[in-house]
Amino acid sequence: MLVCGRALAGLAGLILAVSGVARCQDNPSPDTLLHHALELHRSGDFAGAIAEYRAYLKQVPDNAMARSNLGAALAHGGEFKDAIVEYQKALELQPANLPVQMNLALAYYKSADISHAAAELERVLTERPGERQPALLLSDCYLRLGENRKAIDLLTPFEQQTPDDKAIDYMLGTALIRDGQTARGELLVDRILRDGDSAEAHLLLGESRVWAHDFAGALEELRKSLAINPQLPSLNGYYGTALANLGDTEGAEAALRKELALDATDYAANFQLGKLLMPDDPTQARGCFARALGQRPNDFATRYQLALLDLQDGRADEARAALESLTHENPQDVEAHIALATAYYKLKRKHDVNQQRAIVLQLNAERQAGGPGGTSK
Amino acid sequence: MRSALAALVFLPFLAAAASGDSACAVCHAKETLHFPTTPMALAALTVERCDILQKHPVLQFQEGPFHTEIKTEGNRSTITVTRGTETFSIPILYALGQGKAGQTYVFQYDGAFYESRASYYNAAGGLDLTIGDMGTKPQTVVEAAGRRLTPADAANCFGCHTNGAVAGGILHPEAVTPGVGCQSCHGHVEKHAAAVRAGDVAGAKLPHLADLAAEDTLELCGQCHRTWAQVAQTGMRGPNTVRFQPYRLTNSKCYDVEDKRIRCTACHDPHEQLNPNLAGYDSKCTACHAAALHTKVCPVSKENCVTCHMPKIDLPGAHHQFTDHQIRIVRAGEAYPN
Repeated sequence: MLVCGRALAGLAGLILAVSGVARCQDNPSPDTLLHHALELHRSGDFAGAIAEYRAYLKQVPDNAMARSNLGAALAHGGEFKDAIVEYQKALELQPANLPVQMNLALAYYKSADISHAAAELERVLTERPGERQPALLLSDCYLRLGENRKAIDLLTPFEQQTPDDKAIDYMLGTALIRDGQTARGELLVDRILRDGDSAEAHLLLGESRVWAHDFAGALEELRKSLAINPQLPSLNGYYGTALANLGDTEGAEAALRKELALDATDYAANFQLGKLLMPDDPTQARGCFARALGQRPNDFATRYQLALLDLQDGRADEARAALESLTHENPQDVEAHIALATAYYKLKRKHDVNQQRAIVLQLNAERQAGGPGGTSK
Repeated sequence: MRSALAALVFLPFLAAAASGDSACAVCHAKETLHFPTTPMALAALTVERCDILQKHPVLQFQEGPFHTEIKTEGNRSTITVTRGTETFSIPILYALGQGKAGQTYVFQYDGAFYESRASYYNAAGGLDLTIGDMGTKPQTVVEAAGRRLTPADAANCFGCHTNGAVAGGILHPEAVTPGVGCQSCHGHVEKHAAAVRAGDVAGAKLPHLADLAAEDTLELCGQCHRTWAQVAQTGMRGPNTVRFQPYRLTNSKCYDVEDKRIRCTACHDPHEQLNPNLAGYDSKCTACHAAALHTKVCPVSKENCVTCHMPKIDLPGAHHQFTDHQIRIVRAGEAYPN
């Protein structure tokens, strides 16, 4: 509502503002150009509208609404990068314009630049903390970025205010399950299921089984979800993950590719498919990991897999650099230390191999004693 | 005369070109002579070739309300589990393990492979719970008969206990040849044999495993005996790790990633039976620990080194003592070193 209502009002206002202005077809005035752009925009001729907005803005570069409309027309045609530029210019002119801020967030979101989308949505919600739509979108961004706790903190007040809001229940349930808060997450699933069978609820249950490493149980739930709505976002990704963990690599690959056909940028599907392709097709695997990193630029698990890929491809020094950085970031990560020992061995750094192995044994001892040496992947 | 001899040598090779390891024997007679009797070659057995099943026509095991019986008649063994009036009966496909320590059975049911819940233990002279199944309780007669293996589990089992059945991580049951074979370690032997037949010297080259450094040898053997990394990743500690020799050897103070004198094959020839004469390993220790080399030498004894420095460890539930490959100075009363 925030976006559509305000944008249309703006559009109508501008039409009124320029109506009655004389036209000169040979050398159209700025007002004529703007009027024409708005007419074309309203009639659905986006390419025409873009040309007219651009012509107008050459003459009147400081019209924030025209910039914003140009951004909207560009976004409609999928030209998100150009749209983002126009929205940013519009915001420079009108920093407090929330509809433009929201449109900028949407453009980032649709261009799969999730971290920037999240930043813009956070600004929107700072001004309008109770707005449901940006909150839902921001929680989706947080989930894609793996920031489950932030999603929980954001949605919990909404869930308390409107306990029957299924979209909120679904997003919050997803965040809780991914955060390991299975019991609370499954309460929300029960709430969704109260009104009948639902693909979303089965997906959530399947997800919770995947997180609990009960892959056979996950398959049961995910198949139910697939039977109701095979297009549900993330569903094929989780189905593929469960199949991969049960050793059905062919089925897993097919499912993960289905997920990526629906959303080529999906983090989990790219990550899982990369792992699957690693032994036989390292080039494709690298591409998958690169797309996963596009979604979560500093993702530890993806960078670790890329380091393993470097080791596999004989690029020991690249692997060493990446793993040194990972172990520096998370000194408790056993697997990164193990892989770093291997990298050092390939580089004939015997002393460092022994040092890394000693660290691993120490971490495992701490882990067994209930200490901190867990794994972050 | 020489060419006639060469032809005689090559004729059986060509005839046996498609018969797997027997083709290797033509050129590699020394390596293949005793290999078929090694524990690795006997890592999986059909019922027909399984001495334990043949010598024990009836084996029984009781677990709570479940009664398991393995009955062998000729070339067929059947696991039967009963609970009251319920019965589940299924033929055994393979016996995994030669049985020096233990032997577990594999059957196929409902489109999946199963690992028997009861295993034969040599020291016990009968069946007991399979070591990995401790801590679980069966609910049905099928569960009491065995643990359903995921395709990945099955590929892992067959990948190590049989030859040529796993390609790209996927199990091809129709291609199973029981036991470890030449290609298990040496890779694409068919390609090598074809290149030899074609006189393609370059194409016939296989990795020369005898040249591998300690670390690379342990990586190779560890693919089945578990590498240091595989065990470390699980976080496993305590006597359970004694079964994983590459892991334990790596943790030895004297282990050196590059030194061939401390790799698996320094002591064990994979083509031969395990040497039961412990004194026979002394020369492996003195290859490093000798006064002439100015290295530390044992002040206690000059022989039977392994009896003290590689103690036997009792693994609970396994009915067997495993040699600890973490070579060390053992002190009285010390805990199992991790």
